[in-house]
Amino acid sequence: MTSNHGSKDMTVDVLIIGAGASGAAAAASLSEAGFKVKCLEQGFWQDPSKYASASADYDFEMLTNWSVDPNKRQLDEDYPINIDNSPVTPVMFNGVGGSTILWTAHTPRFHPSDFRVKTLDGVADDWPLTYEDIEDYYDRNDEVMGCSGINGDPANPPRKPRQMPPLPIGSDGMRLINAFEKLDWHWWPSDNYINSEPYGEGRDACNFCGHVHMGCFKRAKASTDLTYWPRALNNGAVIETGARVRRVTTNSSGTATGADYVDAKGVERHQPARSVVMAANGIGTARLLLLSKSDSHPDGLANSSGLVGKNLMFHPFAMITGVFPEKMNTWQGPLSNFAMSQEFYETDKSRGFVRGYTYQFQRSLGPGWVANGGFTNAIPWGDNHHEELEKRLGSMMAIAVIGDDLPELHNSVDLDPDLTDSDGIPAPRITYTLSQNSRDLLDHGIKNATKVFETAGATNIYVDPLMRQSGWHLMGTARMGEDSSNSVVDKWGQAHDVDNLFIIDGSVFVTGAAVNPTPTIQALALRTADYIITNRNDLRG
Amino acid sequence: MASQHSTQEQLLEAIMDRMIPAVGDLPSAGQMGLFDEIVRLAAKQKRFENLFHSAMAAFESNIPDFLTSSESVQDENLKTFELNNPEHFNTIRTIVYIVYYKDSRVHKRIGWDGNPPQPQGYEMDPWDESVLVNARKREPFWRKV
Ligand SMILES: Cc1cc2nc3c(=O)[nH]c(=O)nc-3n(C[C@H](O)[C@H](O)[C@H](O)COP(=O)(O)OP(=O)(O)OC[C@H]3O[C@@H](n4cnc5c(N)ncnc54)[C@H](O)[C@@H]3O)c2cc1C
Ligand code: SF4
Repeated sequence: MTSNHGSKDMTVDVLIIGAGASGAAAAASLSEAGFKVKCLEQGFWQDPSKYASASADYDFEMLTNWSVDPNKRQLDEDYPINIDNSPVTPVMFNGVGGSTILWTAHTPRFHPSDFRVKTLDGVADDWPLTYEDIEDYYDRNDEVMGCSGINGDPANPPRKPRQMPPLPIGSDGMRLINAFEKLDWHWWPSDNYINSEPYGEGRDACNFCGHVHMGCFKRAKASTDLTYWPRALNNGAVIETGARVRRVTTNSSGTATGADYVDAKGVERHQPARSVVMAANGIGTARLLLLSKSDSHPDGLANSSGLVGKNLMFHPFAMITGVFPEKMNTWQGPLSNFAMSQEFYETDKSRGFVRGYTYQFQRSLGPGWVANGGFTNAIPWGDNHHEELEKRLGSMMAIAVIGDDLPELHNSVDLDPDLTDSDGIPAPRITYTLSQNSRDLLDHGIKNATKVFETAGATNIYVDPLMRQSGWHLMGTARMGEDSSNSVVDKWGQAHDVDNLFIIDGSVFVTGAAVNPTPTIQALALRTADYIITNRNDLRG
Repeated sequence: MASQHSTQEQLLEAIMDRMIPAVGDLPSAGQMGLFDEIVRLAAKQKRFENLFHSAMAAFESNIPDFLTSSESVQDENLKTFELNNPEHFNTIRTIVYIVYYKDSRVHKRIGWDGNPPQPQGYEMDPWDESVLVNARKREPFWRKV
């Protein structure tokens, strides 16, 4: 889908790199305001009717062609990631919709306290904005993506009604919830960008197939190819797919002029633009900025602070699995996040760590997945095999601990000296170590989740103290701040060093909070788009 | 090629027999004629296919006399291979489990409706707000700033 907007001038007002959660939101907003928008996306459109959940080979596909890990998926449009120095593997999807094609669509909001961690807890840094600054954008985003959930959660500020009621809890869910209530601990139905009833153009209600991390056949899960992109295209925005950006180009004064890219046929091209918006995610954006060195940006684009690629945050993530004596058909319903607990969200220094965590309640899947372990080890081979499968199938549930991640300089993305993608472009290399605070926080979460399973009557409990394939939240590698020596972009997402370069993905996060990031990423993307619309008329051709 | 194929087939079937023993009216996994399905599935992704063939090659070279060993020796051999070559072992076990649990005879035995998750999906009782009776009693406790 290539177009030159029907004019000879190929220059666009806004060139967006990446068609995922953030790129789509900004494209819809900017194109609606009349900006000439083009998006370069290395991947392609997906056809939900071809998603692997409708194939008899779904268990195999989940581990290979539809793996969440690009190193395992290895499609041409993926890029490899060196993870030798990281206990956590980054996961993502590369295509129109970005990682929202595979996400589990749990959509909690940050707490007001998450923006003030320095002031409140003396750690990391405060954000240069507040919860109130983005509250309206959260609401706007909910409207387009469609949120199922319910008001009244005592752990979060009151907010506008969601678009749909929560997803059902099920008898399996009630088992965990009753245990939380016995312990007098908070729980609440999760907010999800999953339709509990039909919502949005051509989008059906969830039919509880479970395989939410493989693309949604029913279009019930909001991925941005189904939500924002149709709006953006309708407004005249253009996406070029199969277009892999090599570098953002700049002129002699250091201003962004567009991007060099390899098109779907392998032809090298240049897309001129009056401004560039980076939306390639917390790894892809840092990689591209580092690749975009020039005389005016010798250490990489917008990197005078030296912070591009630093402070990578994933969210420390542990998984506790419990097996119950009863059959509860735990494969019915979205695998992840039907309810959550924020009992231990806010800092309580008597626990021995700062910040906190959310519990996310998880279900299970079918026999192939259960046999191979699900969230824990594979069931044993040999004499006990059948007995163990019988015990676990339909009886296994899990609780995830997702902890606040604080920035640390040594956790980083840089360019691998050897590894490249299929176009020969240097691949990212990850260096990540779990901090002691994160370890203590996860251990606290594991201890209490074990108590929940014991209270609920689980007969076997398995612990994964740090889940490897849990790098789904990519944050912090081009963080925002007031001070250009200590941040990459300002509070509007505009690069301190380059006034026509904006960053709108999770790279800009100052801290990680203890919730999934995407509503916050999209709210910030909409806010940056509004800033451009209101203040940057100079970018219109 | 044909003989190579049949050696690999025999070896894998022997491994499968030890991994998933007979149960009810089902024979052990190696006797269920699942080899062709394993080969078909593995070939759906080049990366996995390579991993699978290297795992089988490693098994064969580490334990050349597996086929002629007694069952108890085979079990010991498998345990040693699992311990010393966890990634290769994992590859073999993964595909064996997947193929076994996608077989309709197995579905029948374990009472699994063998359809893929879509397009039918599953059924759940609808959302019921009364589950919130207790949770709603709690006063707001989010930290104000
Ligand atoms: C399995 C899984 C489960 C998840 N679950 C949740 C959840 O429950 N809740 C939640 O909030 N978040 C979840 N996430 C995370 C969520 O998907 C991301 O936070 C979100 O999609 C990030 O949006 P983004 O716009 O920054 O990047 P992405 O959505 O990742 O999009 C980036 C796009 O940029 C493109 N790109 C990158 N480099 C280039 C280049 N050089 N040239 C051209 N294009 C390029 C990519 O192809 C990609 O399409 C999950 C993610 C995964 C993978
Ligand atoms: S569980 Fe629901 S939202 Fe998830 S993939 Fe299935 S139908 Fe879609």
